[in-house]
Amino acid sequence: MMRGWQLEPRRDVQPGVLLVVPVLSVLAALVVGAVFLSAIGLAPVAVYREILRVSYTTGYGIADTLVAASALILTGLAAGIAFRFKLYNIGGEGQLYVGAIAAAGAALWLGEGASPALAIAVVIVAGAAGGMIWVAIPALARAYLNTSEIITSLLLNYVALSLLQYLIFGANTPWRDPNSPTFPRGAPIPAEAVFPRWATTRVHLGLVVAVVAAVLIAVVISRTRWGFHWRIFGDSPEAARYAGISSRQVIVVVLLLSGALAGLAGAGEVAGRAGRLDPNGLVLNLGYNGIIVAALARYNPLAVIPVGVLLGGILNAGPALQSLPGQNVPVAISTTLTGAILIFALAGELFVRYRPTRRPDAPPSDGDPVSVGTGDEGGRA
Amino acid sequence: MNDSVLVLTLAGAVITGTPIALAALGALLNERAGILNLGIEGIMLVGAVTAFLGTQATGQPLLGLVAGALAGATLASLHGFLSITMRANQIVSGLALVIFGTGVAIFLGQPVEGQALVPGARLGRTAIPLLEGLPAVGRILFQQDLVVYGSWLLVIAAAFYLTRTRTGLALRAVGESPATADAAGIRVAMVRYTHVALGGALAGLGGAYITTRGAPWDQAATTGGRGWIAIALVVFASWRPLRALAGAYLFGIALRVNFALQAADVRIVPPQFLTMLPYLLTIAVLIVLSATDTRRRLGSPAALGVPYVRDER
Amino acid sequence: MTDPDPSPSAPPALEAVGITKVFPGVVANDAVDLTLHRGEVHALLGENGAGKSTLASVLTGLYRPDGGELRRDGQPLTLRSPRDGLERGIGIVHQHFRLVQRFTVAENIALGDGRLPWRWRRSVVADAVRKLSERYHLPVDPGAVVGDLSVGEQQRIEIVKALYRGADVLLLDEPTAVLTPQEADALFATVRAMAADGKAIVFISHKLREVMAVSDRVTVMRDGAVVGSLHAANTDPAELAELMVGRQVDLSARKARGEAGRAVLSLRGVDLDAVDGRGGLHGIDLEVRAGEILGVAGVAGNGQRELAETVAGLRAPTRGSIHVHHRDVTGTGPAATRVAGIGYVPEDRLGTGLAPGLSVADNLRLTSKQPLWLDRRGATETATATITEFDVRTTGPGAAVRTMSGGNAQKVLLARELDTRDGAVTALIVAAPTRGLDVGATEFVRDLLHQRRSEGCGILLISEDLDEVQALSDRIVVLSEGRIVLERDADGVDVTELGLAMLGHDPDGPAEGGTS
Repeated sequence: MMRGWQLEPRRDVQPGVLLVVPVLSVLAALVVGAVFLSAIGLAPVAVYREILRVSYTTGYGIADTLVAASALILTGLAAGIAFRFKLYNIGGEGQLYVGAIAAAGAALWLGEGASPALAIAVVIVAGAAGGMIWVAIPALARAYLNTSEIITSLLLNYVALSLLQYLIFGANTPWRDPNSPTFPRGAPIPAEAVFPRWATTRVHLGLVVAVVAAVLIAVVISRTRWGFHWRIFGDSPEAARYAGISSRQVIVVVLLLSGALAGLAGAGEVAGRAGRLDPNGLVLNLGYNGIIVAALARYNPLAVIPVGVLLGGILNAGPALQSLPGQNVPVAISTTLTGAILIFALAGELFVRYRPTRRPDAPPSDGDPVSVGTGDEGGRA
Repeated sequence: MNDSVLVLTLAGAVITGTPIALAALGALLNERAGILNLGIEGIMLVGAVTAFLGTQATGQPLLGLVAGALAGATLASLHGFLSITMRANQIVSGLALVIFGTGVAIFLGQPVEGQALVPGARLGRTAIPLLEGLPAVGRILFQQDLVVYGSWLLVIAAAFYLTRTRTGLALRAVGESPATADAAGIRVAMVRYTHVALGGALAGLGGAYITTRGAPWDQAATTGGRGWIAIALVVFASWRPLRALAGAYLFGIALRVNFALQAADVRIVPPQFLTMLPYLLTIAVLIVLSATDTRRRLGSPAALGVPYVRDER
Repeated sequence: MTDPDPSPSAPPALEAVGITKVFPGVVANDAVDLTLHRGEVHALLGENGAGKSTLASVLTGLYRPDGGELRRDGQPLTLRSPRDGLERGIGIVHQHFRLVQRFTVAENIALGDGRLPWRWRRSVVADAVRKLSERYHLPVDPGAVVGDLSVGEQQRIEIVKALYRGADVLLLDEPTAVLTPQEADALFATVRAMAADGKAIVFISHKLREVMAVSDRVTVMRDGAVVGSLHAANTDPAELAELMVGRQVDLSARKARGEAGRAVLSLRGVDLDAVDGRGGLHGIDLEVRAGEILGVAGVAGNGQRELAETVAGLRAPTRGSIHVHHRDVTGTGPAATRVAGIGYVPEDRLGTGLAPGLSVADNLRLTSKQPLWLDRRGATETATATITEFDVRTTGPGAAVRTMSGGNAQKVLLARELDTRDGAVTALIVAAPTRGLDVGATEFVRDLLHQRRSEGCGILLISEDLDEVQALSDRIVVLSEGRIVLERDADGVDVTELGLAMLGHDPDGPAEGGTS
């Protein structure tokens, strides 16, 4: 590649690099976004200033950013816990929908008059359960039949979307608001089941749930036997088998946990943000964007929190800019920006793992079994 | 009797299956080179919108198709850069491509959202003389358009290329064992870049075909997950081009029957459930395949998804 | 210590003059000279880590030297890549074959051959292959799929491939490491035939016996430098050994054998059905006694891995039983087998025996039952103690195993599997324990195994390297196609008999020559 340069694996990850790479990724993505904005005749600086205003520098903006972040942290954890152990659940979007459906259903089934604590607990459990159900098929197929979970989990997103549309637009289901027959929408859930909000803002209990979940997962991964087994499996499934760890168990548990987290995000969208099952409100692609959050956080649960807030602002800005008078900023600016951030972060990842040095050749393989390739890596089976 | 419902449905299935076949062929070439490209859906979207705009600007659907293919190749090269040069996780990189591609497509397509090409600018039918007159088969296969015929040629060419040519042999070696290919004097990175771009062009062409045939531009519905189905199809086809084409037509039939039922306003099954069917079918096929046929898994290129670094310790 | 060159009239086929190659922290080649003549078999002798492979990589174009130059037929030569080397007629057969397992022999040989037309024909390549294989006694079937062939057959394909590509300077890197004695003899005949045909052959090895048997000239390397270049006829193994090692090291002699005690591990009638096309095991009866090393010899792919994994509890035998002491552990799984007292050092250290991305501390507790709440301090203390005890070179207990050298990684693995502090390990399965290690690490590992043996451990040593099996074992069995076909005491064992058994010949049946 670069003549005269070679890449030397870093022994330890440098904290400085860890911070520099995402920051540079964001900046580079902003440049790409600026090109697109200029192409359609908008002034990038003005647009970016608006993004700052609507998402990060006003009280109202910060509140909206945190609302988006509550969901993104959870979907980021969902993707992060799976990807970290090389289980590629990209069905977070669908698991979020089904979590939302289950949460709304549970709240409506419970009805009015239940104690708020119970109602909220039921909603949270139902959301997590919904997400777990939706990931169960990919998880079991992967664990028992070795079917790649990537495409099965992804395709279920489309199925979940259809299910959601059916429940609201397709028929008179309990999820549909009977008082709005002409404009189909979700039935409001009972007040007891709605997440408490912080002061007069729209920031809700979901943010607390997300932060607690992040801390819990970080602790489980680094301090418990379960996390130890997951780390061994994620590093080398062969080593896990050798150590007598059941790969099936790890696959199923991690994927179910991942689905549960995405489902929790769905519960938050219903009980925290919308107060009903609201298909149109789920357009932020929270599930897919969770993957970006996780990748930017390098699958570290605690890093997911700040990254979730950062990305929440960018995603929030898209619709917010649309509603501004006089500007015609495409909603897609958010998607384009987040996609570009991820691309740059992936490119930068190389420099987290390797250090460019000015040596023409790699170290010798003589007497060093670490470097002995079989010549056909796949043949090792 | 040549225009029965069955014949029309099958003729429609060819049209519906063609973009899937092209995208699957693109994904197949990527994977034969050892590069897993999950970004097909994003590439198809960008191809679709580029072709729409290109056709609209020039009035020439063929130019639109070329534009779509070039856009696909460009976007795929980005994935190539990330996964070949920057050794990124190919799964995450592919997803990044989907997200970025979707964003770009919506961005570019915003002015024409919900519109379709005016009939005069669409890709028209080109019947093949003599063959078009065959009963039923003529209507199904030989009263189609240039892209349909082109896709057959591409599939046959790809099958020939993979099995009979020197470069095809090098391609397969790169996907099976890049270290071996490298030792034999093959430029692994170049083979990978070339085929990633080529695969991207095919996927872009697949997307382009959808809009140039006259489907309206709608980022949520134009491709509607067909890129993902195409990726699943590669597994289904055990990485062989002709089987991929057959599989794409099977999906074309499933989708067409689906449209027909929705159009017929069948009340027994809600349309949303019909929409689910192709996805559920794909999942079922993938699961059944892995449960029954271990040889098919062995058809997967051995170095799929693994970055190649010469001599890395 | 250098014999004069015969200085023939023709310039050398390939000449290295003052080649220096430096890697971070290591001078891998220090002003190395090497002269290769046509028609000559030139042995490159040295321990692992002496710089032989680096020199081979320079000669074939994989590495560019930091100093010195190459000359081909007297003309200066610059190689930018292995492709350059091939084009100039310099080929190499690596120790780890460069073959695509799923391709046919013809496809593997055609790969990368730019002379072929774009639309190449298998028959053309197959004809060329047949001619070469007849000329040099290298039987290969152009239509066979490589993955179905034995190690010896795959090596023949590698040689044919190099010849097909027009190599007249051919390097063979440790070619006999995985061969039976009979296969090695056949290889020597091929090597002689190639030399007689005017090719220059470099035979890279650390085995004195075969170097003496095959070569005309021997260049000995130590610590990256050439320490001698001699005519094979004018030297003897003792002189070469001293040159090679530079001090008195006795790797071959077995330490005094202890008193073998009662059986600590016994397999009775163990069958394992073949899975995914891989071989199974058939009626294995084995007994490893306390205080002995039982060596399992065999050609790669004859059930070694299956045997190790079955004993370690990773696979449940289809029939038969496995006892540790008198405890039946058949089908109880890896954890229970471990608790019963079995340690297992797998052949694939990094990736199976160790999780490369995890720390030393984590790897040391990889296989022990952990409490739900991990004891992080305890793990760090254990790791620190182990690092000191085994002299592991690392930055600390938190360092990822991936960053360590092979020898140090093997120490971590052995430290864990041989941990007898709580007296748990009574039997050990050890697969290819010294493969790829340098001389110091090899000695360390062998000493450790002998020490555990004298402490009463029963050791089942599985290796494809017959020399290693012979050097370490008290008793030897031969595994062929999943069956134990021979059992002998290690003292005074007949190497020819072992080799024939490894090739699947019935030792009691009529003896035949090699496979060719």
